[in-house]
Amino acid sequence: MAVDVAAPAPQPMPSGTTPARPSGPPPRLVVEQWAPDSRGRAQRHAVRIGLVLLVLFVTSLVPDVYTNLVSKAAVFAIVALSMNILVGYAGQVSLGHAAFFGAGAFAAGYTLTELDLPWGAGLIVAALSGAFAAVLLGAVALRVKGLYLAIVTISYGLFAQEVVFNITSLTGGGAGQVAPRPVMPGFIVSFLDGLGGPFSAIAGGLDGATSDLSYAYLCIGFLAAFLLFDTLFAGSKAGRAVRALRESERVAASWGINVTGYKLLAFVLSGLIAAVAGGLFASIEQRVAPADFQFLLSITFLLMAVVGGVGNRWGVVQGGVLFAVLPTLLERSHENLHFWPFTAIDITLEPVISAALLILTLTLYPGGIAQQQHHLHSWLRMGKFKDDTADPLTDPPAVYREDPLADPEGARL
Amino acid sequence: MDELINIFVIGVRTGAIYALIALGLALVFKATKVLNFAHGEIGTSSAFVSLFIMERMEALSIFSSADNPGTLTGGQLLVSVIPALLAGAMLSVMVKVILDRLKDSTPVTQLVLTIGVAVFMVGLQAKLFGVTGDPFPRFINGNAFTIPGSTIPVDWHTIIIVVVLGGAAALLALYFKTPYGVALLATSQDPFAAELQGINTNAITMSAWAVAGAMAGAAGLLAAGVFNLLGPGLLLARFLIPAFTGALLGGLTSMVGAVVGGLLLGVIVATANQINLTLDLGLPGPPQIAVLMSLLLVLLLRPRGLLGKEA
Repeated sequence: MAVDVAAPAPQPMPSGTTPARPSGPPPRLVVEQWAPDSRGRAQRHAVRIGLVLLVLFVTSLVPDVYTNLVSKAAVFAIVALSMNILVGYAGQVSLGHAAFFGAGAFAAGYTLTELDLPWGAGLIVAALSGAFAAVLLGAVALRVKGLYLAIVTISYGLFAQEVVFNITSLTGGGAGQVAPRPVMPGFIVSFLDGLGGPFSAIAGGLDGATSDLSYAYLCIGFLAAFLLFDTLFAGSKAGRAVRALRESERVAASWGINVTGYKLLAFVLSGLIAAVAGGLFASIEQRVAPADFQFLLSITFLLMAVVGGVGNRWGVVQGGVLFAVLPTLLERSHENLHFWPFTAIDITLEPVISAALLILTLTLYPGGIAQQQHHLHSWLRMGKFKDDTADPLTDPPAVYREDPLADPEGARL
Repeated sequence: MDELINIFVIGVRTGAIYALIALGLALVFKATKVLNFAHGEIGTSSAFVSLFIMERMEALSIFSSADNPGTLTGGQLLVSVIPALLAGAMLSVMVKVILDRLKDSTPVTQLVLTIGVAVFMVGLQAKLFGVTGDPFPRFINGNAFTIPGSTIPVDWHTIIIVVVLGGAAALLALYFKTPYGVALLATSQDPFAAELQGINTNAITMSAWAVAGAMAGAAGLLAAGVFNLLGPGLLLARFLIPAFTGALLGGLTSMVGAVVGGLLLGVIVATANQINLTLDLGLPGPPQIAVLMSLLLVLLLRPRGLLGKEA
């Protein structure tokens, strides 16, 4: 990759003559950036394709009983992306994200069961209800900042979980709301079957139309769509404006950025995406109950973003997957690995391990998983594996913040 | 009339526990500008330390009850008070030591770190003592007296809670008259200038955290007694957010404000419960509604709290 840098043209200075002003544009100094050779490029592309194939065939790799776990991992990864928009881009903390997630889940359940509408309508209602819940909180965030906002979001999450999710006429009370899955269109199944090989094996699993397998692929598809959206949003005018808010609202305002509007936009987008994830979550077990949304769920959502690496979309997605599968992972390793430390660690230690991960991330690795994978990320982005100029461990590049949840405006109490 | 008195008695009982927790939160906030989310779980962990001691004593039949063998008694609780308070102070200092690694971070990051510590403690409690919860005694059972002119009884536990709150508040008030208290005030206003005046700011803030932890421990013992049940995350689930709100209601840096705000919020919550019951609204979770509304009202209308000073 070559970057053009405007450079002052070297002037010959013959003695006794006045230097002539250079005519035309100054010559451009071309700085060659390091680029991999063709073999290096091929290796990087091969690893990229391998990673995509790994995600596509992950359902074939895990035992059939854990197909629903794949769906849950994809849904949590979507929530992590939604947290990232609020915490990573806009710099607003949310400790009540389960409110949006649950609002989406119950809205989808209500629309599907009580109103008997098709599955797509349920997801749209879920998205709208999440956006509405987020606008309410966003309106408060316009007035309240920093620590006080954090306390409000906790209280908001508790309010949603203890009050709103327990209104029996909306959420079905303790028994919860039934949320059936969508029917997989037949042409997709026959198309996959026609491709042959591993694809027809997947097509065989899709036969029930609403099977676990087809739903897992639907969730992965939604995750891919939101990843694409996140990439486009972060680079768009609105995305850059939202990220400017994080650095300093007053500087952003002085550049003509509509602080109120973009802050609300960040809340609405985050709430909407979390609610869509909630709508998807409702149909995983095909039933959603208030007991699914404990206070710890909101904390887990924040953990996913912080441990994954605030501001880095690939990091937070991995954080989401990690915390979705952590309980099952601990349970399975306790059952199957008969040596220390797995004999001592079982599923009841899950909160302890999550909290330890958070504490270690904040104190040692503020960039989270993304910071630890820095070399790998730079290699996959067609750079060197280890950049000699910057060592992320001793000299963290600007992309990893010293303080992942910094909110300069809120810092002043 | 009876209903009003009932609201008042219940409100003061829960409110005094809110106030005791809020007092510790305000002290820590004053000393280090940290909102300590782990404060509640420091209290619950202290109560578990007390439970452990009481169960050992019961096994050795020390101070055990003659009428109900197998149940823990107030005498055993009294013996375990000092270790429990010490455990609270030690845990609090440990949280402070972890937090020192994030000295230069913003308050929100420090809050999130204390949330991590709180979750860690809840997980450890659940691992060591199980998730179902264990019976927990009161110092004195039964009712003390009936409020004159009504049929509402006041139990001994309520009186003890109020006395402990009053004692803690009085001790803190005296503390701020001593040179140590003045040093704490100086440290909270400007740590650098305080350091220049020869104040060991680290020791001063550590002692503030330790005192707050001991108060959390007292709140844990009393709160577990209210329900006669101690489970993991007891204070986090039921008392911490109202205590935060109470502290904000009174003004975060004001000790008097924390007591007033906590008691006020207790009465507000009791009123919300009673309204829900009397009017038969059937709303789930009236306390959460009352807490969120109080929090929003105070933050939007009077952010510095009722007794807080203008920032």
